[in-house]
Amino acid sequence: MGALQLSNSYAPMGQNGRVPFLLLIEDDDAIRTALELSLTRQGHRVATAATGEDGLKLLREQRPDLIVLDVMLPGIDGFEVCRRIRRTDQLPIILLTARSDDIDVVVGLESGADDYVVKPVQGRVLDARIRAVLRRGEREANDAASFGSLVIDRSAMTVTKNGEDLQLTPTELRLLLELSRRPGQALSRQQLLRLVWEHDYLGDSRLVDACVQRLRAKVEDVPSSPTLIRTVRGVGYRLDTPS
Amino acid sequence: MSTVAKRALIAGLRWTSLRLRLVVVFALVALTAAVSVAGIAYWLNREAVLTRTQDTALNDFRQAMQDRVAKLPLQPTQAELQSAAQQMAAMSAKPGYSVLLVDSREAGKPVVGYSDLDAFTLKDVPPKLQEQVNRKQPITAGNAYPYHLFWVRTNLRSSPYLVGGAKVIGGGPTGYMLTSLKQERDDLNSLAWSLGIATGLALLGSALLAQAAATTVLKPVQRLGDAARRLGEGKLDTRLRVSGTDELADLSRTFNRTAAQLEKKVADMSAREEASRRFVADMSHELRTPLTAITAVAEVLEDEADSLDPMIAPAVHLVVSETRRLNDLVENLMEVTRFDAGTARLVLDDVDVMDQVTACLDARAWLDAVELDGERGLMVRLDPRRLDVILANLVGNALKHGGSPVHVSVRALDGELVIEVRDNGPGIPADVLPHVFDRFYKASASRPRSEGSGLGLSIAMENAHIHGGDISAANSPEGGAVFTLRLPRDAEAAEAAVDESRTDDAQVREEQS
Repeated sequence: MGALQLSNSYAPMGQNGRVPFLLLIEDDDAIRTALELSLTRQGHRVATAATGEDGLKLLREQRPDLIVLDVMLPGIDGFEVCRRIRRTDQLPIILLTARSDDIDVVVGLESGADDYVVKPVQGRVLDARIRAVLRRGEREANDAASFGSLVIDRSAMTVTKNGEDLQLTPTELRLLLELSRRPGQALSRQQLLRLVWEHDYLGDSRLVDACVQRLRAKVEDVPSSPTLIRTVRGVGYRLDTPS
Repeated sequence: MSTVAKRALIAGLRWTSLRLRLVVVFALVALTAAVSVAGIAYWLNREAVLTRTQDTALNDFRQAMQDRVAKLPLQPTQAELQSAAQQMAAMSAKPGYSVLLVDSREAGKPVVGYSDLDAFTLKDVPPKLQEQVNRKQPITAGNAYPYHLFWVRTNLRSSPYLVGGAKVIGGGPTGYMLTSLKQERDDLNSLAWSLGIATGLALLGSALLAQAAATTVLKPVQRLGDAARRLGEGKLDTRLRVSGTDELADLSRTFNRTAAQLEKKVADMSAREEASRRFVADMSHELRTPLTAITAVAEVLEDEADSLDPMIAPAVHLVVSETRRLNDLVENLMEVTRFDAGTARLVLDDVDVMDQVTACLDARAWLDAVELDGERGLMVRLDPRRLDVILANLVGNALKHGGSPVHVSVRALDGELVIEVRDNGPGIPADVLPHVFDRFYKASASRPRSEGSGLGLSIAMENAHIHGGDISAANSPEGGAVFTLRLPRDAEAAEAAVDESRTDDAQVREEQS
């Protein structure tokens, strides 16, 4: 079953009422302590690491549901940690960046992060983002749909291409599900931000673009000339059944 | 023509026709020199030629008078006089030389001898000369003879002639001679022509020289002018090539030194400015780390405030609210430093403007205080976060200073998105109006002290500019301040000028396929 079964186990409060288990990787002692305090009070179980190396070690030992990752880390930085996790795991990652400099956000999203928050972040906002990301892996009682060689099983939360399981992150899966719910209909980036990321009206459209790029890399035959997930100029994206 | 216009014209001529002025001055100098040289040369020549001719003729005449006339008998016959005159005339090799001898046999009976009756008669001799020749002068210590040789230059039948006359001392006949000066006049005329042509050539030469001089002077001046203009346009690395050791080279060196110093000074200044800008950027960065920790903990404290000691709770609330304010301030500072450093980027998306405006007002619980005018369905490509910043600042400002209801209208006009925010306040004083978008400008005299960072409107303006748009502030005729935001319907062009986002690269790639 692979990653998708794994993503099942991320679904915390929704189905089994389990407390979400987070891994917080942050080098600054004060921030780490404060965020741990805040997140614990919001009802999460939090493990912390001060460096990327420690974080990766903890990840292997403890299997958290989600990672909150600082970008500026001594040694290997947040982007690199993110890339290394993505090589084997599809678990959700939220980047914690002290800089809202756009290049950082873009690099972060390319390295595979699901969402990002800018420091100084309010605990409530971070909690809302965490819960939104975790909800993406929730199972839906529904049927299956197929788009060419791509088969989406909504009840099992699996996606197969030519009969092979695809390793999708919960965010990618949720994006595909939302698009597949309205086949042939264009959805704007802002709509997708609300549906998938549960962001308010100020959602960063680059989250959608980055996630679409990653999704295309996995589901399209030729990612640079997509036939399934099409860009609709001036509107957003649309899922087509290839003719 | 008014004096001002005249003065402007003169000033214009003075500068535009430096070349012309040089030519004129050169020509004048050449003309003066040539004319004076030619004039003096002509005059000296003329005098020398005439004097020599005259001396020769008169000497010959005198000699002949002594040789011939003195040998004549007293009271000679007309035939004797005639032959003497003809012999005298024949003695001279000069053409046009005639002699006239006058004597009287008895008182009142003149006898005249001609060498050539057609060329020279007594009538041709000026009366004044006759009178002078025949006048007997008293003999003194300084004057040994009673009669002298006199001469005059005259024109006969429009040809120049020399006429001379002498009386033989001791009661001899009076002799007159006439010699033509035509040859000399022709020579002098051709000399005058030559001198005139030489003067003309000198003038021409001077004009050419003036051109050359003007070019050698004006070229460097023009180069200097061009360089000065480039310097003025901000190209501070402009330098002149220095050649030679003349005044212009000196000037070029001075220019280069000045430009170098200016460049250094500007570089120093911008380095200092860059340093202070980086300081602010680094500072706000550094402030973020403790602020993140404080923010996270403050929230925990706030949640617990109700269960705290009633004395402590207000303190906790204060810490929390001031932490938020500090957050806003640091956030605004970072935003400003990003604009200053030119690292601010647009994240464009196609959005329904009315949805965005409504959401912006809703998120701040301003919907009740704002009258919104506009229709859904107006799709514009812009950065939603930046539009939100602009709107929040404009509406927040209107609510703070003008009070509700604030009127917000959204419409499309000539391919532009126009959002107008009008308040019901007293309006903006005329002296404050030009400064409303200045950083940290506090119109404290007429308005209550801003609760914001003092950067709000400045940031709103920067956000409009990065879209290629603008914000203007004015007072409405019905009272109240009006802020008008204008944004292009598609900020793509503005964005292309700034940077090409990765999103768009992806879209372009797809469209090409």
